[in-house]
Amino acid sequence: MKTKNLYKLTLSVAAIVLLSFNSCNKFLDQKPITDVSTEVVFSDVPSALKALAGVYSRMVGDAGYGIRVSLYYPLDTDEVQGPTGASDNDRRDIARYAATPGNAQITNPFNQMFAGIEYANICIANIPKMAMYANGTDQEKKKLQRMYGEALTLRAQFYTEAIRNWGDLPANFAPASTLATSNPFPTRTNRDTIYDRLLEDLKLAATLVPWRNELSAIGDAADERITKGTVKGLRARIALYRGGFSLRQDGVVKRSTDYLKYYQIARDEAAEVMASNQHSLNPSFRALWKDQVNARAVADPNGELMFQASGIGGVGAGDTKLAYYNGPTVNGLGNKSVNILPTYFYAFDSTDLRRDVTCAIYNVAADGSAKIGQAITAICDGKYRRDWISNPTVSPTNAIQYFSLKWQILRYSDVMLMFAEAENELNGPTAAAYNAVNQVRRRGYGQSLTTANAAVDLPAGLSKAAFFTALVKERSLELGGEGVRKYDLIRWNLLASTINDTKAALLAMSNLAAPYNNLPTGMFFRTGSTSDDNRFGPTGLWANSFYRAAPTATPAGTTRVVWLSAAINTTSLARFATGFVTGKSELLPIPQPARDANRNLTQNPGY
Amino acid sequence: MRMKSVCLYLLLLVGLLNVLPNLSIAQTGKLEVKGKVTSNDLPLEGVSVTVKGGKVAGTVTDKNGQFKILLQDGKSSLTFSYVGYSEQTIAVNNKTTINVSLNSTASETEEVVVIGYQTVKRKNVLASIASVSAKDLKDIPVNSAAEALNGRLAGVTASTAEGSPDADVRVRVRGGMSITGDNSPLYIVDGVQVENGLSAIAPQNIQTIDVLKDAAATAIYGARGANGVIVITTKRGKPGKLQVSYNGFVGVKQLARKLSVLTPADYVLYQSERSRGSSTDSLNFVKNFGTTWDTLKNYNNVAVVDWQDEVMGRTGVAQTHNITASGGVNKLTYNFGYTRNDDKAVIRNSTYKRDLLNLSADYKFSNKLKVALTTRYTQTEVNGAGVSSEQGSSFSRLRNAVKYRPFLSSNQDLDDPDPLADPNVGNGLNLINPITLADAEYRRKSTTVGNIALSVTYNIAKNLTFKSTVGVDQFKLVDRQFSDSITPYSVISGSRKPIAQLDTAIRKTITNSNVLTYSINKYKGKHDFDFLIGQETYDYRTESYTQLVRGFANFTTPDNAFGNLGSGLSFTGYPRVNKTRYTNMSFFSRINYAFKNKYYVTLNARADGASKFAPGKQWGVFPSGSFAWRAKNEKFLKDNSFISDLKFRAGYGNVGNNRINDYLFLTTFRNDGGLYYGINNQAINAYYSAGLVNEALQWESNESRNLGMDLSVLRDRITLSVDVYNNQAKNLLLNVPIASTYGYSSQLQNIGKTSNKGVEVQLGALIAKKKDFTWNANFNISFNTNRVEALGQNQKLFFPAASWGVSGQPTDYIVRIGDPVGAMWGLVNDGFYTLNDFEYNTATGVYTLRPGAVNASGVIGTVQPGSIKFKDLDGDGVINMDKDRTIIGNPTPKFTGGLAQQFTYKSWDMSLFLNFSYGNDIYNANKVEFTNGYTGNSNMLNIMANRWKVVTPQGQTAQWVTSTGQVMGIAPGELQALNKNATIWQPIKSAGAFFPSSWAIEDGSFLRVNNVTVGYSLPVDKLIKMKISKLRFYFTANNLAVFTKYTGYDPEVSVRNSPLTPGLDYSAYPKSRSFIFGVNANF
Repeated sequence: MKTKNLYKLTLSVAAIVLLSFNSCNKFLDQKPITDVSTEVVFSDVPSALKALAGVYSRMVGDAGYGIRVSLYYPLDTDEVQGPTGASDNDRRDIARYAATPGNAQITNPFNQMFAGIEYANICIANIPKMAMYANGTDQEKKKLQRMYGEALTLRAQFYTEAIRNWGDLPANFAPASTLATSNPFPTRTNRDTIYDRLLEDLKLAATLVPWRNELSAIGDAADERITKGTVKGLRARIALYRGGFSLRQDGVVKRSTDYLKYYQIARDEAAEVMASNQHSLNPSFRALWKDQVNARAVADPNGELMFQASGIGGVGAGDTKLAYYNGPTVNGLGNKSVNILPTYFYAFDSTDLRRDVTCAIYNVAADGSAKIGQAITAICDGKYRRDWISNPTVSPTNAIQYFSLKWQILRYSDVMLMFAEAENELNGPTAAAYNAVNQVRRRGYGQSLTTANAAVDLPAGLSKAAFFTALVKERSLELGGEGVRKYDLIRWNLLASTINDTKAALLAMSNLAAPYNNLPTGMFFRTGSTSDDNRFGPTGLWANSFYRAAPTATPAGTTRVVWLSAAINTTSLARFATGFVTGKSELLPIPQPARDANRNLTQNPGY
Repeated sequence: MRMKSVCLYLLLLVGLLNVLPNLSIAQTGKLEVKGKVTSNDLPLEGVSVTVKGGKVAGTVTDKNGQFKILLQDGKSSLTFSYVGYSEQTIAVNNKTTINVSLNSTASETEEVVVIGYQTVKRKNVLASIASVSAKDLKDIPVNSAAEALNGRLAGVTASTAEGSPDADVRVRVRGGMSITGDNSPLYIVDGVQVENGLSAIAPQNIQTIDVLKDAAATAIYGARGANGVIVITTKRGKPGKLQVSYNGFVGVKQLARKLSVLTPADYVLYQSERSRGSSTDSLNFVKNFGTTWDTLKNYNNVAVVDWQDEVMGRTGVAQTHNITASGGVNKLTYNFGYTRNDDKAVIRNSTYKRDLLNLSADYKFSNKLKVALTTRYTQTEVNGAGVSSEQGSSFSRLRNAVKYRPFLSSNQDLDDPDPLADPNVGNGLNLINPITLADAEYRRKSTTVGNIALSVTYNIAKNLTFKSTVGVDQFKLVDRQFSDSITPYSVISGSRKPIAQLDTAIRKTITNSNVLTYSINKYKGKHDFDFLIGQETYDYRTESYTQLVRGFANFTTPDNAFGNLGSGLSFTGYPRVNKTRYTNMSFFSRINYAFKNKYYVTLNARADGASKFAPGKQWGVFPSGSFAWRAKNEKFLKDNSFISDLKFRAGYGNVGNNRINDYLFLTTFRNDGGLYYGINNQAINAYYSAGLVNEALQWESNESRNLGMDLSVLRDRITLSVDVYNNQAKNLLLNVPIASTYGYSSQLQNIGKTSNKGVEVQLGALIAKKKDFTWNANFNISFNTNRVEALGQNQKLFFPAASWGVSGQPTDYIVRIGDPVGAMWGLVNDGFYTLNDFEYNTATGVYTLRPGAVNASGVIGTVQPGSIKFKDLDGDGVINMDKDRTIIGNPTPKFTGGLAQQFTYKSWDMSLFLNFSYGNDIYNANKVEFTNGYTGNSNMLNIMANRWKVVTPQGQTAQWVTSTGQVMGIAPGELQALNKNATIWQPIKSAGAFFPSSWAIEDGSFLRVNNVTVGYSLPVDKLIKMKISKLRFYFTANNLAVFTKYTGYDPEVSVRNSPLTPGLDYSAYPKSRSFIFGVNANF
């Protein structure tokens, strides 16, 4: 009896165990169903492009160039300032250089840039290893080479943006999966080391990415993606940062002694872009913004828009708030949070057509077309305007906040001005340097690009220093409100003095002191005018000149707004860069949560 | 391929079942014996009658309880056995008629406990197991069995995070070991592993709940046993006549507590104060509230609107009806139940409806072959968005009920949207009329759960039993959320047009277990031996679909929107789909051995393989052993009349935990539309890295040691169980915050060790037992200390964040070696700055911080008299988030427990249940937000009535900050006079408004009168005519009173699901108090 039972027991156990083991290895081998593996992603061109789209996607959204990095961080400068209102440990305090490590608006952008770097690292590590990269058709190989170069370029862009805001940072040039385990708490790497690496990367990328007119040969469309011109232009910009001043971890603003080496790189890259004839200036500065940028054009015929962050989707994850957060309001909708300084408005020559593109002195009424003139302290930046949006247009009653506009990171005119600056630094104000600046100026004044024009061109015979001073101003007139100025001033070590000069100028303006003593104290706008530039005259929005004393009586059919007055002091100057301290404010604080997660991440000077 | 092997395997199993019975041999007999089997004088049908030790086939009783059997001789013994009754063996001694009366096993002394694939008598249990039975549950009219668990069992807490009718009940056994995210125990219902074990079962359908606490008991479940195992046995039919019973109750409920807020006049006064020093704010103030100081006096007379009353103050009505029918026919017994719960909760639009059907049937093919079927079907419908949100402040609804302006502005009705609203407030923190908001945020969750378990038990031979169980569990949730145009979501993401979100989640589980048991009783009179071996597979699939649509026309109703999702515009990247599959395979074995009923040994081993880990890391082996000495059966105690039982237990074991997401060991890319980029003005969906991969992931293991003693005295009138344990978890699967410069916020790693050490005492007493009066009391208390023993490589601490406030807020919890898992971390409050901290320049009117005074400007912005003050822990003179934060609260209670008492007097019964917790801290984040002035036009808790004031009673600005950050003010003497009664700082407007400080940490100790019931049963003689065997009416008060110092809604709160951030009270659905009338009837 007993033995029989034992026999049965043994038999049954053996049967169960054997049968189960038979199927068990397969049973436990589960693969992701909706997610995919690295092999799948990097198996062919369309899949790899989707991985690259992930890298691109980290540029946009609320935490990218959608709003924070484009419209919060580059303020205040001698061009524009942040919104009115009390100190908020938020966007206002960032603009006023009063950010704290707990500021609500610095953590997510910081994290997002590094997510971009990580996603780029994954593409950079995998695309060149794809079988198709070596064995595909010629077109497949070229498409993949382009993507590899794009990933290198995007990584450089993310790193540059991070460094110019936060200084030295941990250097990751490989996917986190290969770095994080062995080095969980990375220390900060000198920015020069990182910049040098990025310059090398872009040198490589320039050999991989085709020029604009070579795209069709490899079967790619002309769209928002990076081309060789972008790579080279960005390399010139990074070289200027590398060769420029910056606030170092020891609290001193300085540059390296071999800075001219980097000016040479910038000059050569810019010169190559210019010599390539792949890019040119749109003859109309206004059409460039209104008909290209605000009409959401995919690519402009001139190729002036060399690098753009392209928002889409209508939500904070992947779109932009351009023309909602900044620019004139329509029907009371919009934040109007980037204001043109009164002094910047008057920095333009009265005939410079760029003034009325860059500065919008109106809001739009509920009908969507009538303009309401604004006081001198409430001028909006005008390059991204809700009332200019077309393709399709936005109804005045639509409460949407995301317009899928594209933030312009690099324009051809910037490349030309970089060339002029580097050339002047290396060789003095040569004819080539003059030619580059004057073309930009002629376009700005609506003149023929190639015809010398004494009324518009820079005066001949400037010294190297005077030419540089003219360039400092020209970059502001050309690139105002494009998030370039603050970082330019830092690399020239002019931020502190410019802020002081601007404060003094604002005060003088507020007191109607010279040179502002002949300007109007009030401006009269025509009720119901639909004119969207700042022209003065019978058909313009304004009934009196910006450059002459105002009429004492209100002209018929107009409304008065406050112009030069003490309001400049109480409204603009009172909040302008109030927290600025040199040796601190040139960098943002490292966000507290990032430091909580990595104790080796030291804080920036002064915070 | 795999299907094939499974089929083959099943085929062979069937073959095995077919072949083995033929091995037994039929015999003829000589003596016919007949008789009747009864229980309480009623005939029992289907009782199996077997010949002990003989080779004669057994028989079963007929519907009259009669049996007839032919025996070989008159010397055999007959064994009478029946499910739910204790077995009896009677020697025939040549009698031809044997009448037997069987006792139901429900009696105290024969209590059985399910210990995992096996049932044992409670007296023989070697492990730490606590149980609740139907008897304990009957007094408490609850809709969830988990609620009934709370406070009743030593070492088991079952707390609801908040008060919503469908709130998750968080059951924790011995504090929870893992810090990955899920510390919930494993649920086994009728032998089958079930997700959401407690929410899909009517408490009325539960026979017993056994909670296995130590590894000696849980190791047989290996995987997932680390957090304890809750074994639920549902009621099954008993042979005999059809019995029908009805249990029903209806009750009313009310919000248990409200928070008091500022009066309208004080509210306006503060808005005036808040606006000073900013031209924009001042202009807005004048626009909203009046132009001159005198008009403000009018606000003394405006009607107060209590928004908490309006939104959460309605009288809720809850009712439950349960019908059970059970009985047996021939070889079949069955139990059928239907339960309906209907709950209208205290919050506007919040309702809960649930229908539960359960049917179980047991069929006995023969003495050898039994089949048991259990099915359940549950349908739940929950309406209303409630008040809580897992997101930050912008999406909290509770804040609107507390912070919204406490009166109506002119021409505003109660349900008018706010004419003063500024939707552009930073972080989306504008306030919305809470009534309109509650109506604008529609939510309906429909859940269906279907459950089938089939088990076949086959007695292969004497002492050898095979049992195979197959369980199928299917869960489907359809969650509809509709955010109308005024909601923060619509304002932020939907251009102020309605947004509809439709989530569908499906989970399917198929389990199969096959177990062989072999047992010998009283071998040579003193050895009891039990051997079990088994195998189990678990196959878990999930599918989820999310559709997110915006741009519906205004005034679209939710029904219209969900009926026609195509009329809106899909968010880019939607719809999203996600599917996963997780498989687990296990082999396990147990040996029980008892010597002379004095010494007991149990050894368990289980091997688990899980698809969640990389090949090579898939298998974990989890052994355990326990030993018990029953001293009572020793000579020196055998005849002791005082001590009726005494047993000592020792257990050691190792169990595993793998509750992490699937595929984490693989580098994977998401393709779910979460990220995309605009190319050619088209969104190109991106492949993006799902997370930072960790190929080295492996099983988390939990080593547990338990010492216990069970003592009964005075014929079991008083019972005492004491357990001491030391649980050490290692290889903890930990979501470690990693340097964010790697592009991810965290990575799951097998690092870290935690320990839980504690003592549990359970004391039961039958205090009085008279003819007319009985008094039963059951007391339990548990002490548990929880400690982080080790973290990752070179890591001593990290900071998890509760993420309740605004973005960029500092982290507010810490996990640090030597401290409890998840302690609250922040600045230490030091009252507020007074005039003594400042120097005053009479010429300029400027206040400057006195040298030596602590400077908190880096945290709160400009420091002025009346600003909140923090302790400068490192003494460097400035408050710095790096150096001046410390542990400010410990969320772990020193002890918790409960006292349940039951009284009967003649036909009356009464029960009183108290539970308590002592020594835990709560992070009252509500208080932080409800006292700050971050958002304009927001009300505050009334503690802020005594704030530091900056406006004189005449309306003169007494103190302000210029735009350049200078603090200006009237002379110190006047300012002092104005603020001589100030007890709290001026509300924080800007920096630091959401920062955690020790002020927000409160003592969460409480004593709750959880449940009081008074019942009356009609005398039986009056009922017989009505064919009713039992009729009882009762009245219950739930959550009658809470004694606590905590100032929030309720001290039993923890709103974030992460174990790293326990004890957070932010925007929880407030708890209610209910009064219930009910009836129990048996027909």
